[in-house]
Amino acid sequence: MHNDWAVRKLQFRVLYRVFFMRVIDLELLSTDADPTRLFGQFATIFTSISFFFSLPIILLGGGHMPMASRWTAEHFFIETTMTVAGLIAVLNWDSAFPDRRDVLVLAPLPVRASTLLLAKISALFAAPGLAMIALNLFIGLAWPLVFISDDAGFLGALRSWPAYWVTLLAAGGFFVFTLLAVQGLAANLLPRQLFLRLSAFVQAGALCLLLSVYFLEPSLESPAALTAPENQRLLAWLPSYWFLGLFQQLNGSMHPALAPLARRAWIGLAVSVIGAVAALLLSYFRMLPKVVEQPDILPGARTVTWAPGFGSSLKSAITLFSLRTLLRSRQHRMILSFYLGIGLAIVVGYIKTPFAGVTSTNSGISTVFLLASILMMILTILAIRVVASIPISLRTNWILRVTQVRPARHYQRAVRFSWLALGVAPVLFLLAGAFLAAYPWRQVLGHLVTMLLLGLLLIELCLYTFQKIPFACSYLPGKANIHFAFWAFLLFFIRWLKDGATFEGRMLNDLLSGMLMILFLAIAAAGVRWLTEVGGSSAGELLFEEENAAEIIALKLS
Amino acid sequence: MLEVRNVYKLYSSIPAVEAVSFTARAGEITGYLGANGSGKSTTMKMITGLIEPTSGQIFFDGHRIADDLMTFRQRMGYVPEEPHLYTHLSGMEYLVMVSQLRNMDRKSALERIHGLLRLFGLHGDRDVSISSYSKGMRQKILLSAALMHNPDLILLDEPFSGLDVGSSLILRSLIEELAARGKVVLFSSHELETVERICSHIVILHRGKIVADDSIERLRTLMALPTLEGIFSQLAVEQDSVAISREIADLIHA
Repeated sequence: MHNDWAVRKLQFRVLYRVFFMRVIDLELLSTDADPTRLFGQFATIFTSISFFFSLPIILLGGGHMPMASRWTAEHFFIETTMTVAGLIAVLNWDSAFPDRRDVLVLAPLPVRASTLLLAKISALFAAPGLAMIALNLFIGLAWPLVFISDDAGFLGALRSWPAYWVTLLAAGGFFVFTLLAVQGLAANLLPRQLFLRLSAFVQAGALCLLLSVYFLEPSLESPAALTAPENQRLLAWLPSYWFLGLFQQLNGSMHPALAPLARRAWIGLAVSVIGAVAALLLSYFRMLPKVVEQPDILPGARTVTWAPGFGSSLKSAITLFSLRTLLRSRQHRMILSFYLGIGLAIVVGYIKTPFAGVTSTNSGISTVFLLASILMMILTILAIRVVASIPISLRTNWILRVTQVRPARHYQRAVRFSWLALGVAPVLFLLAGAFLAAYPWRQVLGHLVTMLLLGLLLIELCLYTFQKIPFACSYLPGKANIHFAFWAFLLFFIRWLKDGATFEGRMLNDLLSGMLMILFLAIAAAGVRWLTEVGGSSAGELLFEEENAAEIIALKLS
Repeated sequence: MLEVRNVYKLYSSIPAVEAVSFTARAGEITGYLGANGSGKSTTMKMITGLIEPTSGQIFFDGHRIADDLMTFRQRMGYVPEEPHLYTHLSGMEYLVMVSQLRNMDRKSALERIHGLLRLFGLHGDRDVSISSYSKGMRQKILLSAALMHNPDLILLDEPFSGLDVGSSLILRSLIEELAARGKVVLFSSHELETVERICSHIVILHRGKIVADDSIERLRTLMALPTLEGIFSQLAVEQDSVAISREIADLIHA
């Protein structure tokens, strides 16, 4: 009996580790890459954010905060934690239920389904759980001091910490459980092939929903707004407010307006937990045989080969390969949607705030639209640069190596063209469609040319360090720091871009000024292109395998 | 003619291939044999340029391949040991991509691709994702990709892997036909019977070193052994296979 328990414990530990590490597809990483470093990077980001938000409390002390501000802060932390947990659960989507590989590898082994299930659930909750803890590491220590109600005594003050942490875990757990329940329900009700096809769309939909709700939901953190009859229908669909009620209930400072929301939080949590547990149990005991019996992909599903030419054969090969990877690889599509979605949501959220100071002008194209299109262009190029550095199958790039019959600079030109076709062109089409209906064609043309040159400039900047074939070369986490550059750009440069948009609006109002601006941008783009071409000419071979800088490579003396 | 001269490959100072020298001539099929881990695939990868030798040189038609790798790659076709393919593409899309990367004329490339797919019995599945292909179908895609540009040097690393009997017979005849048309064929396989039947010249590798480099007839005469299996066992197999199998059975029985 004891021995059996020890065996199950060991099996659980082994499986837990395997499932937890599957959050990252290890086959995509460079041989020099350290997967634990990626986890470390994410933990550092979340902990830094937590420290940043705690600084005012650490430096200035809690003090007395007006109720409205207190509620806003409580709601913001709960909502952010829920969204982070939800996003990680969405990104973890494919590892929620056992796939064909799990079943084929584990089924012949003497591992009980319950051990497998327990390891999977533990691994599934570990990533969002750790993210929630990292995000609230400092916030959860400092801010509960501020959230204490005015009439709370010493015990009431002590109650604030557990209340905060329980609420956060419940709120994050609610999103994770709900996503699991939805996915499990779909997996059990639909035929497997249909589920696999629809699953990608449900995942993308969940991602969009999470981001849209986070950035676009209205601010209702006041007793008047929470009790207003016109807001009740909306509140019924905004879980972050339910958990605001739950926090105040646990904290002992509950305003009567929040009582129905707290009740809704308990009910919502219970339903999501029951739904997720039922879905998981059904999936493990009913779905496992289906996974083995039914193939993941139906053979013989005829598709039409669409292979347009794009000038040279190399340009066609790289552009079509990139397009097909983006369309067919769920992982790449998700990363692209994540960057584009979160970027655009932040932009939309920012433009709505008075801090942005963006106003429409009566003459010429609205500054809001100009800013939105500049940001759309920048975010699209950066997102493509980020996603192109992640390979679809590293072991398969041998074919690209043995068929490299042209110098690296030819590949660089082909990559430039593919990014123009897949990044710049769609944005320009979208902008043309949106602007031509509302503004004079001459100004729209001027703006489109400006955007084209901006796109070209950005592509050249991105290509400067990219001696690779998109989606084909190994990825060394942290080397290019492109992800950090992306977020840093979003945080620090939006305000400058607003000034840029205002400037562009002024320039486009006058033909000569507009031409001068376009000429200046064209010279800048040509200059950076020359630099990139010189760099490309000096590099004879493509960089298929990323390596750490020479000074941190092990000496390998053994 | 392919000439490998005194090639070494070390991984962290451990030799994978040591002082390997041999020649594969046009019109001949050169069998490259060795046990698992003997350095066969490493040699193949060095010839393709996928990995660089630590020392030594490889020549093709008198030119050092490292001097102009791109021209050499135009003249080489390679079937790797593992059928790693971009599975999100269809067979047709994959082959078209390879033809574009090789800078082939679009029209003639399409004609050849359709022809190869038809002859290999894959034409009906040409637009189906490679992820749903069987191992044999993937092997046929690899063979098509390696041959479609009419290479002068053909490197085949376990080309029969996963093929059914009919396809294996076709491939065997194809290899002979290609050699008869003046191609240099370097062929690595564990199927000694096939090697014995089609190869005129064999190179046997053991622990990274060449232990035999001659025609099969001469090796038979020199070693006074009737079959290639006997020759290979004597040169490249250290263990007593019967004793080892008995030990394994004893071990799992204990």
